Amino acid sequence: MITLKDIKQAQWDLYVGLLTIEQKDSLLIQWYAPDCYFNPIQDLNDNWVISVEEMANCVNEEFIWVKDLPLIIYEPKPTPPPFN
Amino acid sequence: MIIGKAISPFGIKRRNGTANDADAQAFITASGISGTEATAINTLVVNLKSANIWTKMKCIYPFVGNTASMQKWNLKDARDLDAAYRLVFSGGGTFSANGYQPNGTNAYANTFLTPSTAYSVASSGHMSYYSRTDSNGANEREIGSLTGTVYSDLALRYSNTVHMRWGETSAPITAASANSIGFYVGSRTTSNTLKIFKNGTQILISGNLAAGLPSVPFFIGCLNLSNSPSFYSAKQCAFASIGDGLSDAEALAFYNAVQTFNTTLSRQV
Repeated sequence: MITLKDIKQAQWDLYVGLLTIEQKDSLLIQWYAPDCYFNPIQDLNDNWVISVEEMANCVNEEFIWVKDLPLIIYEPKPTPPPFN
Repeated sequence: MIIGKAISPFGIKRRNGTANDADAQAFITASGISGTEATAINTLVVNLKSANIWTKMKCIYPFVGNTASMQKWNLKDARDLDAAYRLVFSGGGTFSANGYQPNGTNAYANTFLTPSTAYSVASSGHMSYYSRTDSNGANEREIGSLTGTVYSDLALRYSNTVHMRWGETSAPITAASANSIGFYVGSRTTSNTLKIFKNGTQILISGNLAAGLPSVPFFIGCLNLSNSPSFYSAKQCAFASIGDGLSDAEALAFYNAVQTFNTTLSRQV
């Protein structure tokens, strides 16, 4: 399992932290740093994930466990054209 | 009896004895910036007012300081309120002296500015974005408020294309975009005239009609599609604004003021 400790900052955009459904629900409308809120999204395989930046920059003690989330390669979900 | 000095309504005085502009000082106090950043903000406000652009702005985000708590403020109304269009950041954006860096994955800022309530007509409006990044992702958009029927969005470069819509109901008029580094101003000045300026030079004109105003707030760093953030951008933002439509001359004066501002901060492109 790859975690935050195993990657360099230059690799952050390649990975995301994998959440369970319960973990995703717990992060909704919660801050990870002053004036910054978590934003879980779904990837190509419908996994719930957060960005490595949210994990690395989290200072909210209640959610400090995000720093230990397993990392997976980010595969974005295809987005339909925005009304054009 | 000791008689104290009168307290200036303009707050802190600069070293040369000249008080900062009151709007600039309110922003400086709220954001906690100082030194060159504070000086640059004051000059920016003075220049925008001198060019008669200030009153056409609803929100101005200079993205100074290096934390979300410093970069969230609206220069036009430096109150910590949704009603003041103060930003709320979500997802993995990062903050530095060079501005706000959305990550292209899940980062954006909510402006709380909803076109259908902030504007009385759809025939005048602008959006601006100072991009320090050249990126060309097919799904990147920089500012947007869209419902299922009305679209207002600004996209600097996706699939080698640039476009802006303001209150439109159809596909955008596009132009080629080979590089997304620079200051983009998209401005609608009549119901059937919309232009995009890059670094003060017109790069697109559209005759698409403005037919309405979206009822969801603008997001910066992505589109707000009916209250769902989508089409995340990876373009670092060193300035953004939303307001009324700007004439060609005003767009050029706006570029000059913003470029001077970012040059003072050594982050110009």
